[in-house]
Amino acid sequence: MIVLIVFMILTVVALERVVEQRALVAEEARLQLLIYGLLAAVDRNRAGMSITISADRLFENSLMTRDSGLYAILYNAKRQGIWRSRSITRVFPEIEQITPGDWQFKILEHDSKPYFRLAFAIHWPDVRDKLQRYDVVVWQEASAHFEQLDRFRQTLWSWLVVTIALLLIVMYLVTMWSLRPLTKLGLEIKAIEDRKQTGFENNYPIEIAPLTENLNILLTRERYQQQRYRNAMDDLAHSLKTPLAVLSGLPKVKKTDRVDLDILREQIDRMNQIVTYQLKKASSVADAKMSKPIDLVQVVGRILSALEKVYREKSVRVEADMAPAIMIRMDESDCLEVLGNLLDNAFKYCRGRVFIGSSDGAEGQMHLTIEDDGSGLPEHEIEQILNRGTRLDQVSEGQGIGLAVVADIVKSYNIAMSFKRSVAGGLRVQLVFQTV
Amino acid sequence: MRAIVIEDDLDIQKQVIDRLKQEGFAVDGADNGDEGLYLLQEYPCDVAIIDLGLPKLSGLDVINKIRKAGSNLPILILTARGRWQDKVEGLDAGADDYLVKPFHHEEMMARIRVLIRRASGWSDSRIVCSPVSLDTTTQRTYVDERELDLTAFEYKVLEYLMMHAGEVISKTVLTEHLYDDEDDRDSNVIEVFIRRLRQKLDPDEGLQPIETLRGRGYRFTLDRVKQADTD
Repeated sequence: MIVLIVFMILTVVALERVVEQRALVAEEARLQLLIYGLLAAVDRNRAGMSITISADRLFENSLMTRDSGLYAILYNAKRQGIWRSRSITRVFPEIEQITPGDWQFKILEHDSKPYFRLAFAIHWPDVRDKLQRYDVVVWQEASAHFEQLDRFRQTLWSWLVVTIALLLIVMYLVTMWSLRPLTKLGLEIKAIEDRKQTGFENNYPIEIAPLTENLNILLTRERYQQQRYRNAMDDLAHSLKTPLAVLSGLPKVKKTDRVDLDILREQIDRMNQIVTYQLKKASSVADAKMSKPIDLVQVVGRILSALEKVYREKSVRVEADMAPAIMIRMDESDCLEVLGNLLDNAFKYCRGRVFIGSSDGAEGQMHLTIEDDGSGLPEHEIEQILNRGTRLDQVSEGQGIGLAVVADIVKSYNIAMSFKRSVAGGLRVQLVFQTV
Repeated sequence: MRAIVIEDDLDIQKQVIDRLKQEGFAVDGADNGDEGLYLLQEYPCDVAIIDLGLPKLSGLDVINKIRKAGSNLPILILTARGRWQDKVEGLDAGADDYLVKPFHHEEMMARIRVLIRRASGWSDSRIVCSPVSLDTTTQRTYVDERELDLTAFEYKVLEYLMMHAGEVISKTVLTEHLYDDEDDRDSNVIEVFIRRLRQKLDPDEGLQPIETLRGRGYRFTLDRVKQADTD
């Protein structure tokens, strides 16, 4: 819009300039005509040594009327005024030397008024046919001319200002009207904040509809997450009560007796496990629908490089037999958590070899297998570990909460997980994923 | 050995530093990423313990910058963020190991020792340059099967020299890696320790385990015995 306004101003300025120029040109042309008229009325004087202008051969009435505003003077070679029009009542300043044949057009100030002055020098033969030089000068009072120009200028500029004002008003109105949906959006957001509404309405124009639809999805997801966090807090508070109870039940000791550090450490460990488990559970996204597809093989790759760093001293040999890429719908953080824990266990408890492989399952399914050559786990322990999450008031030992977190996450994604004994001697974990 | 601890929780920082000093480390501490980076760039050290959630410059940024500058310093990350995503990101950025808070200090020390040994090319907790051997976990020294009675500082000097067996270590480097800031650093004291070490290691003067190179420093002359990978 600013560009438009600037353009309009430039146009008006140009217009103004052009009009000014044209007016001056016209004025000069008019005065030229007058001088031609004067030349046509030139006659020899009685003596024949000079020329004069016969007034009766002049048709310009203004030259006859006193103080008409139009004046003419004829100068001889000695710069003496030898003829003056009857309109002259005052003295006019002399002119500078000009070249014969040249027209000199100037705008001057005289008697505190603006004047146009046109001068022309000629050679005219006298009675002896000797060329004498004469200068013809006309003065035209220019006040009226400039006043008119000013009036024109004023009209032009006020027209411009009015147009710009109107333009701005119209554009403002149009903008306000087109932004109406956004105003409505703003009002709805406030209403959602104030809990008067739970989502956006459906009657937005096509340009805005994708925004409101996505915002609605975002709101649903956030509410869902909020609920999960609330649940986690509840579970957390509940599970912490037991170890806290144990600690507060410790016998009061005199300052000189030592507190049973073992019990302290044990309960602190337990509380730590509970807190970690609940935090991990709550921060898991746990919804395949809301996740974009990720490459399982890439995730495995990242975890393997991390584990190879951490377990460098152990020199674990990894045998991988996976498809080049496996796309699944899962939050990347959750996927890293599941595979990270499972592979970490494999590395930790293996003797020296870990195997990862993938194979096609039923329609749209992919099986992922992780095996190690360690000593494996007895059945009942596996059972216990998988249920660790819900029974954290039991004394913790062995594996910790890693597998419990994994069990939680795979359950929420509907990924089937099974444990067996590997032919290599250790644990064999199999996961069944739905591929994209 | 010298360690740098970058941790903004002052209680934990103090605990870690105290434990490291107990184990014979000289330690510098910082409580924000900018100061930590400065310490890492200006002071030589053998291991860095870095928290991720730091003010001013984050732990990951500090690690990135150090690695980009070409440092191979062993780095242990200490953090409350326990998700595997955070572990992988930390290790990708250049850390060598990752410990989740709260942790047992024994575990932390064990991991730090592994990292230091790894950096010197030792994969075992025993450093053996026959007939001298060092058990870095128990901090005991043996010549053949005979145990030596070394003071804490004598052990520190010997451990450093043996970790870098075959390399020339100047007195300045030795002082920087073994002394805390507050202690008086007098390089003549090092000479005294070296002399005492020689007396204890090599009473008959047949072994000559520590060589003095005038104007350059000291070198542990006995060859490393390569450890077979533990299986």
